[in-house]
Amino acid sequence: MDFQSLFQQFLSGGGTLQASTYRSLVLFLPELILCGSIVAMLLARLTSLDKCIPTHWFALLGSLGAFIAVLAQFWELSIDGQPSTLLFTGLAVHDEFSVFFRGFLLFFLVFVVALTVLSGIPDQEDAPDFYTLLCGAVVGMMVMSSANHLLMLFLGIEMASVPSYAMTGFLKGRRQSSEASLKFVVYGAGAAGVMLFGISLLAGLTGTAEFGLLGERLHSIFANGFTASHPEARIAILALLMISVGFAFKLSLVPFHFWCPDAFEGAPAEVAGFLSIASKAAAFALLVRFCMSVTGSAAGVVQGLSLTMGLGLGTLAIITATFGNMAAYSQTNAKRMLAYSTIAHAGYMLMAVSALLVLRSTTGSELAASPEQMKQAIEGLLYYLAVYMFMNLGAFSIIALIRNQTFSEEIDDYKGLIQQAPLLAVGMAICLFSLVGIPPLGGFYGKFFIFAAVFDATRVHWFMWVVLAAGGFNTVLSLFYYVRLAKTMCMDVRPVDARQVSMPSNSPSGMYVLLVCGMVLVLGVIIQPLSRVANHAAAAFF
Amino acid sequence: MDHQATGEVLKNLLTVAWLLPLAGFVAEIYWLRWSNRLSKSSALCAVACIGIGFLCSASALVYWGCHTDWAVLKAEEHAEHHDAEVHDHHGEAASAHADPADATAAVDAAHEPLVNGAGHQHAADDHKHDEHKESHANAGKAYSGTFYKLAQFGKLSLSLDWYIDSLTLMMFTMVTFIATCIHLFAIGYMKDELTEEYEDHQVHTSHGHFSRPGRFHRFFSYLSLFCFSMLGLVLAGNIFQVFIFWELVGISSYLLIGFYIERKSASNAANKAFIMNRVGDFGFLIGLMILWTWCGTFQFDNTEAGPGLFTMIRGTDGVMKVSDDGTQVFLQDAHGHRLENDGKPSSIGYLLLVAAGLGVFAGCIGKSAQFPLQTWLPDAMEGPTPVSALVHSATMVAAGVYLAARFYPVFVPEVLLVIAYIGCITLFVAATIALVATDIKRVLAYSTISQLGYMMLAIGVGGWGAGLFHLITHAFFKSLMFLCSGSVIAGCHHVQEMPRMGGLRRKMPITAYTMLIGVIAISGLAIPVLNIGFSGFYSKDAIVASALAYSELNPVHILLFITPLVTAGITAFYMFRLWFLTFYGEPRDQHVYDHCHESPRVMTTPLIALSILAATCAWGWFLTSGAGEEGPLYRMIAFSETVPATEQVKSRGPAQITLPSHQGHHSDVHKVHGQAGMLALLAAFAGSAFAYVIYGARVINPNDIRRQFPQAYDFLVDKWRFDVLYEAMFVQPVHIVSAWCAGFDKKVLDVILHASASITLVVSKWDRLFDENMVDGLVNMVGNTTRSVGYSLKVVQTGRLRQYVMWIAVGVVVLFGLLFTSLPK
Repeated sequence: MDFQSLFQQFLSGGGTLQASTYRSLVLFLPELILCGSIVAMLLARLTSLDKCIPTHWFALLGSLGAFIAVLAQFWELSIDGQPSTLLFTGLAVHDEFSVFFRGFLLFFLVFVVALTVLSGIPDQEDAPDFYTLLCGAVVGMMVMSSANHLLMLFLGIEMASVPSYAMTGFLKGRRQSSEASLKFVVYGAGAAGVMLFGISLLAGLTGTAEFGLLGERLHSIFANGFTASHPEARIAILALLMISVGFAFKLSLVPFHFWCPDAFEGAPAEVAGFLSIASKAAAFALLVRFCMSVTGSAAGVVQGLSLTMGLGLGTLAIITATFGNMAAYSQTNAKRMLAYSTIAHAGYMLMAVSALLVLRSTTGSELAASPEQMKQAIEGLLYYLAVYMFMNLGAFSIIALIRNQTFSEEIDDYKGLIQQAPLLAVGMAICLFSLVGIPPLGGFYGKFFIFAAVFDATRVHWFMWVVLAAGGFNTVLSLFYYVRLAKTMCMDVRPVDARQVSMPSNSPSGMYVLLVCGMVLVLGVIIQPLSRVANHAAAAFF
Repeated sequence: MDHQATGEVLKNLLTVAWLLPLAGFVAEIYWLRWSNRLSKSSALCAVACIGIGFLCSASALVYWGCHTDWAVLKAEEHAEHHDAEVHDHHGEAASAHADPADATAAVDAAHEPLVNGAGHQHAADDHKHDEHKESHANAGKAYSGTFYKLAQFGKLSLSLDWYIDSLTLMMFTMVTFIATCIHLFAIGYMKDELTEEYEDHQVHTSHGHFSRPGRFHRFFSYLSLFCFSMLGLVLAGNIFQVFIFWELVGISSYLLIGFYIERKSASNAANKAFIMNRVGDFGFLIGLMILWTWCGTFQFDNTEAGPGLFTMIRGTDGVMKVSDDGTQVFLQDAHGHRLENDGKPSSIGYLLLVAAGLGVFAGCIGKSAQFPLQTWLPDAMEGPTPVSALVHSATMVAAGVYLAARFYPVFVPEVLLVIAYIGCITLFVAATIALVATDIKRVLAYSTISQLGYMMLAIGVGGWGAGLFHLITHAFFKSLMFLCSGSVIAGCHHVQEMPRMGGLRRKMPITAYTMLIGVIAISGLAIPVLNIGFSGFYSKDAIVASALAYSELNPVHILLFITPLVTAGITAFYMFRLWFLTFYGEPRDQHVYDHCHESPRVMTTPLIALSILAATCAWGWFLTSGAGEEGPLYRMIAFSETVPATEQVKSRGPAQITLPSHQGHHSDVHKVHGQAGMLALLAAFAGSAFAYVIYGARVINPNDIRRQFPQAYDFLVDKWRFDVLYEAMFVQPVHIVSAWCAGFDKKVLDVILHASASITLVVSKWDRLFDENMVDGLVNMVGNTTRSVGYSLKVVQTGRLRQYVMWIAVGVVVLFGLLFTSLPK
């Protein structure tokens, strides 16, 4: 292949659905901007430019620029209404769903950078390292959310994970932090190994690594019904299971959650907040796309596979949510408690994916669920993620802001905080009640949409009733430990020897808390705009 | 369209005049923020607002005149022509249908009934005539539109509208002019309030007199609020808006009467005025509800949405369409056709229309202090005198008359009869009380009530223009007299009792002689043969003439003529009595006389301005030609008459009334005008002469007369014992009923309440036991279980890395095992 033809390919692209390399690069612009700002940060450090311009400006501007680029893409998509485009000869996909998640991640990145600036982690010396890692992780997550290839799947997960390991151990002086980082790395490596094994099995079995083709091949493998009698089927199931372990690791699903409490406790609250939201959102994006790809294609839906995966994920969801809520109860460290809460929320969100797959398994039968119902499952997941972003970020940022003044993250040190910093206490209470799912806060509608999807799925399989009941039961369970924290902050008496905490609402940090908690409230009252955007994003699959 | 453009300009001018006082009110309320209590600037602000308002109103009037080519003043020829035509036509029609019964049977039932001698309507060829009449009745007279739509409830739309015709313009000009004069006067009258420490001599506390900071700015802000409300009432384009401003003038009046709130009498009087007015407003609301239920609109004039109230009831030609049996009135649309609803003609019951009219009139009774709600007005004299002059003589109390006139098209003859009798009773009762009153302001107050009665009577007997004519002239001379009395009171240092005055004309000549002009005007004195007099002469003449024409056509109601005639004499008597007692003769209280002085110029200038108008406002361009009912003032008002009165109108309702015609030289009223005028003049002269004999020349000692008829005297001094009657009829029963209610409350309701409380206590004790043991137990059990499970789960999280990694492998194997066992083979 000479240069001429390479260039020709660069300009024209492969098939009809595949964008040319040039077009791919244009659609890849947000990631490129972020990469550019990483390079700029490193160069600035090299030239000591970071002494005069704080590094966080690079990160902030880079993330804002990338976010605007994504917004432009979203706008373009919503006008064109064109079907999904394959980028880079099918390695990645560009559709409403991936654009939604890339926008989500970048928006969140802006908030995280703002939080780190306010809370002062990292210091100026470490700032370039920290923001490089942060932006790098986000690039990885964006790759995850638009991956359309097993290779990209693995690459994305690893690109997101490796900077996370480093960020977890970012407080180098703290022994606990380093330990948490080490645990995270080793555990992550183990999970990655299993997943890689699964990927190679699947790729070897089907002879392709592209998501679009995987569905067709699996369809032909399970042409005679979904049984484990066939050796190829057995291998396929094992491969899917092992890949799922990789997802379970990223989503901290039980029993692959062990890293999560230790890593969160060791990591700074800002990093914990980042990991709990961003990596989860990216993993859900990837999971939904992966599941939608392997369970069906243009050739048809593998009903048995879809149902089994749906029910399996549903089981995992029940176990995860229940375990997370139960274990959170006995925690004395606020971050650790929220780590378990994060696990539980992953369970709730997994219920939406489970409902989606169960509904999808009916495709082609007379009970067939309408695309609208399936869209609603995805819409519920996306709405939940958006609300979750604000409420979890609010909780972690308040923990970080309190830590800056009391140097403690123990729940006992939060006693009677309302007497000194009412804003923090009330803001925390709003976030906690939203996490429980009490109206009129955003968390209520997130839960409501997901439970509605699960309820839709109950007509397909009785097991979804169990899932629904477990979801409701877990909401009650979660009340105990959330309210306990709220009660500690708002109703207990502050001990006389406790450190002074002050947070006026007109300080930048106070306004940040107001903004984030205000969004939790707003999303519980004004639902239509976000749910329409989520619905639009969900339409990418149908 | 030219008509619309003119309307826009008029609306803009009047809106400025209307809203300026509101701006003034807002500014004056906060005046102390940028000024102090000793500054007169707030008054200047108020005067500026209302003064500019007057300029706007006057220019609106002139603008309107120019744009109609002063057609209003040339209207006579037109009316003449029209009148003749009608008469001719009538003759033809009458000859065509000699037998009235035959006519009734032959024609459309809706067309035939109300108009006696309106046989022309039966003829098939009268189409042209109808059109002619239509143009005469309504078109081109009124301008209307909507400022702002407040709300829409079903088909009911509430909006702020405007309705401008010559009556609106006249009222605006009159109100703003008088208000300007009174504002100026008040600057002088209220100057006592320009102090940090105002001592109220009429309020006694344990430490002597009560003292408070002066409230100069507050007085003027209230006045501005009143002006805004009053102008809004006049400008209003729908009856609901009238009601809103009706209540606003009510509250302004309440605030102003109670201006010296620390005086028990003042606060009582304010309450009395407010409560008495609520009684009337209750009827007003009922009337509104009836009208809305059956007509579905509050608008006066037609809008795009549909016909207005006037058109609905009176059609385009001013004729009500009553059904054959006289029980229904058909509603009409803007083209003279019947309104239909699902193919059936919409109509309103005749008696309902009577009820609606009486309801609205009840509001007028309250506001205009008519019998039987007249008792609040004399007490309202507790307010500062400028208030009495503006609110309680010239404008607000006249608003009742104004509304009755504005709503005239909706009133059926039975309602008009009630209005006439109410006016008749009121004018007599009030005049007799005024005979014996000794407080200078109270005499004027009773005189006001009596004169308002005249206006009501005029409207009731079909003298629409006459009533409003008297409204305007009365506003001038009565506000003049009130200001004079204010000047006297201020000059005599708040002495109001006439027996302590006397001979004051030597000390305060301007006040005395301007007052004399007012007295002559209200008495209706004139130079006999030339028939030249002050304004009151012409307007009273018009009223008495209308009453005479009415009683000639309806001999049963002869009292409606005799009473006002006699009362004209009484009026002249008590007014001259007032003047003689105050200004004439020798001082009866030397102390008062010695300390009294003429008022400063800021107070006398308004007196002179008003006295000029009180004397001349009814005159024509030249003294002799076209005064009174040929004068511009009357024509200007009568131009707006919505119900044509060119022919006699015979009612088919139960009362069998015939309303006299009063337009043109052949009308019933005109025929009796000379005779009525002579009788009225005679009465006035008799009254004045009698007053001179008793109080001027002192030939007869009034005390002798008093001793002669002690019971009658006491009866009058007790104001016909209305207050006693109301005390016995309403206040006492209410006390008794409330005592019963209180007893019931204590003896029965409280017992039930206490019993239920104790039952609740017992139940809640049981409930608590259940709650603490069962519910809490359950919840605690769940909580404790969760807790123990949670603690046991802690064991899994050992923190040992090796174990964690092992779990990955175990997890995969276990899951795989589970999957394979559950999958079908």
